[in-house]
Amino acid sequence: MDIFEFYRKDRWPHVFCPGCGNGTVMNCFFRAFNEAGLSLDNTVFVGGIGCSSRVPLYINSDALHTTHGRAIAFATGLKLAKPGLKVVVFTGDGDLGAIGGNHFINGCRRNVDMTVICINNNIYGMTGGQASITTPHDFQSTTTPYGNKEYPFDLAEIAVAAGANYVARWTTRQVHELTKSMKSALQKRGFALVEVVSQCPTNFGRRNKMADPSQMLEWFKSNTVRRDKAKSAELDHVDLNLAGQITVGEFVDRNRECYEELIGVEKHG
Amino acid sequence: MKPVINPKLCKGCNICVYICPKKCYTKGTDISEMGYFNAVVSFPEKCYNHNREGKLICELCVLSCPDQAISWHPETEEEKKK
Repeated sequence: MDIFEFYRKDRWPHVFCPGCGNGTVMNCFFRAFNEAGLSLDNTVFVGGIGCSSRVPLYINSDALHTTHGRAIAFATGLKLAKPGLKVVVFTGDGDLGAIGGNHFINGCRRNVDMTVICINNNIYGMTGGQASITTPHDFQSTTTPYGNKEYPFDLAEIAVAAGANYVARWTTRQVHELTKSMKSALQKRGFALVEVVSQCPTNFGRRNKMADPSQMLEWFKSNTVRRDKAKSAELDHVDLNLAGQITVGEFVDRNRECYEELIGVEKHG
Repeated sequence: MKPVINPKLCKGCNICVYICPKKCYTKGTDISEMGYFNAVVSFPEKCYNHNREGKLICELCVLSCPDQAISWHPETEEEKKK
């Protein structure tokens, strides 16, 4: 498949800022979708509100643009009503972790069969650069001009603790690893989360001396630690602070029973 | 195969200039019809995929380009000899 058979060519160039990581994620997702051998006719894309949640609207397939933070709730309903469909959720950090935090935790706990791609750009980019739950400690934003005094959420670790079947985190600098993880997530039965730490040069980088997208990519490159290669003491230190180092890698890959099997929806659906 | 930048899609973010391990790209100096300073493929013969057919390797620029502007095109006979 050509990339512009997968995406709607008539909508190009897309609305994302120059250097935005969402486009990179779209490239990787297209590759992963192709390699996983899935069909667009049998897949539904769900998005919430935010820059990253605009990605489903560019895909040449059925998409659901939902209310803020409720993408996982809508996707759960969709999956239970039509168990034959493949459900993919595109969401951002504010959508998934802040406003929809409880839907996210309970989606992981129920282990509903869906793939969630979370594009984490460390800020509320669309509304003007307010500090979000994933803004690293001591980084500046519109609402924290003297540096963010809070510590960020670790979305991937929350998903592991809540019981998701597949959790991975990569940055937009590691495109090949990201593509591979997205493929595994698409093929996994149960809740699969791929968190992509992405650059937002316009609203995050500009206020943190990284206005050039390549400076942000260099920051990712020099500040990432592979989870499987890091020492355990190092991991304790880096877990809650993205400003220090970003832990990347596959966090968990297991086969818990998913919600549809537990309630027997496939017999009736 | 050689990388080609589509001037109608490129927004001039210069990620390709940063990410290419063989430094095939250079920053542009001319303004494009969309109003951006597009990167230029100055040294396509340095690319890992120069004279390569079938399955391509590396592809960091194509995967990283946020605007889907870079695509692979076959080389002409003259370019193959470089």
